Amino acid sequence: MAKQASPRPLELTDLVCSVDPHDGSRLPVRQDAVLAALHETKQRRAARLARALPTRGEYLDEDAVDALLLRVHAELQRLGEELQLPRRLAETLRSWSGPLLTAPSAGPVRVVDVGCGLGHVVRWLAAHDFLGPRVELVGVDLNATLVAHAASLADQEGLRCRFVTGNAFTPGVAVEDPERTIIISSGLLHHIAPDELPGFFAAHEVLGVSAFAHFDVDPSRWATVGAWVFHQARMREPISRHDGVLSARRAHPAQRLLAAAGSSAPGYEVRCHDAPRWQPALAEVLRPIAGARRRA
Amino acid sequence: MSSALLVLAALLAIAGLDGAFAGFRASCGRTGLIRHRTEDRRAARSGLVLLAVLLVPAGVLVAVDVLLHPSRLETYRLAGYAMLEVYLPYGLLVLLALAGYLTLSWRRRFLASALLLGPLTLLRPLVAAAGAAAACWTTHDVAAGLVALVAMGAVLLVEPLVGRTYARQQASRLQRGPQLSDKRP
Repeated sequence: MAKQASPRPLELTDLVCSVDPHDGSRLPVRQDAVLAALHETKQRRAARLARALPTRGEYLDEDAVDALLLRVHAELQRLGEELQLPRRLAETLRSWSGPLLTAPSAGPVRVVDVGCGLGHVVRWLAAHDFLGPRVELVGVDLNATLVAHAASLADQEGLRCRFVTGNAFTPGVAVEDPERTIIISSGLLHHIAPDELPGFFAAHEVLGVSAFAHFDVDPSRWATVGAWVFHQARMREPISRHDGVLSARRAHPAQRLLAAAGSSAPGYEVRCHDAPRWQPALAEVLRPIAGARRRA
Repeated sequence: MSSALLVLAALLAIAGLDGAFAGFRASCGRTGLIRHRTEDRRAARSGLVLLAVLLVPAGVLVAVDVLLHPSRLETYRLAGYAMLEVYLPYGLLVLLALAGYLTLSWRRRFLASALLLGPLTLLRPLVAAAGAAAACWTTHDVAAGLVALVAMGAVLLVEPLVGRTYARQQASRLQRGPQLSDKRP
């Protein structure tokens, strides 16, 4: 008899906050629904953490959840700094934005960070003026609270970037001139279920953006152990620690990403590379799946 | 006397570094700002000052004991030396990792964190306890053991105490909500 595949473990930050993907409005989250989902996946520790969250009646307290998410994202930013994440993304972006800017019809190039959270990458790029003044930096997230705080942080430091609440793949939300737009993300892909990956990459094809680079963990046992050590040592919030380790476990292997992108975004030259399973991916702890639009 | 002073100076130097790093860690990942060097330095200073204050009881215990019984200095020197045998290799590893962090190329810089600084932070409470245990074991002296335990407690309290201050600041910022000025770029 074939062994039944165990369900994909869930991250608490995905469960405790819900927004309507169409209009971005906040949806109330029942605590018992969160607990039932975690019971289904046999995540007892996560259920204990979810049970400890403040509630208003049967629903999770939205203000407390917002504060929690902001603390988690601020901690995540610290981790991103240590991993040199914005700089890694910047190096990839620079190789693409250069040719776009020197094209005969050169206007501004727009870099859109999907699922930007507190906008660390976008704000870092703006603070270091890494891509030059003709590159517009836009962060997009479905969570309006995170977006508002990202904008506030950018404002405090006088950074030239902006943040939008919504679905980045809806035309007009952040992408206006697809041929001069590059879509990026960091730590987003593992939040997408395997069967939803083709749809995610197809959205790039539909919009026809110039290129994309989605950075995520290169999954392996080494990555899981590393994530555990790093999150125990650096993160304070129990939910950050829980989700941090799970993000390494839930990350998609390059083969799966390439298959999804290859089948649903055939207009792109796509590359993604995992380190051999037996050796720790020391050089690139976060690696991108990068796609550039094929030239006719 | 001079060797006792040397041991004391070495222990204080290690404790000072640890206090500064503990303060720094306590402030990390709180504000969400990109430019946080000033805040980092302020947090490191807070850690250092707080540690100095928390170490006062241990210092007073030693000073009073040695003033009343000068021969006890040798016991404290032995205790301090035992602690140094544990803390010095740890401290050197931390400094080595920091040197790596500062000298490696930006792509490899995280290795210093991933391979050394992160795991060493995790081990820190155990190392602190091991140093205190070594002092107790070496001297079999109640007063020296007590001083070692008080010093260990002081070192381990810095991060949570500084962290509490930063957590309060963070909570009040979150309560105020996002602020936007009129002169957005």
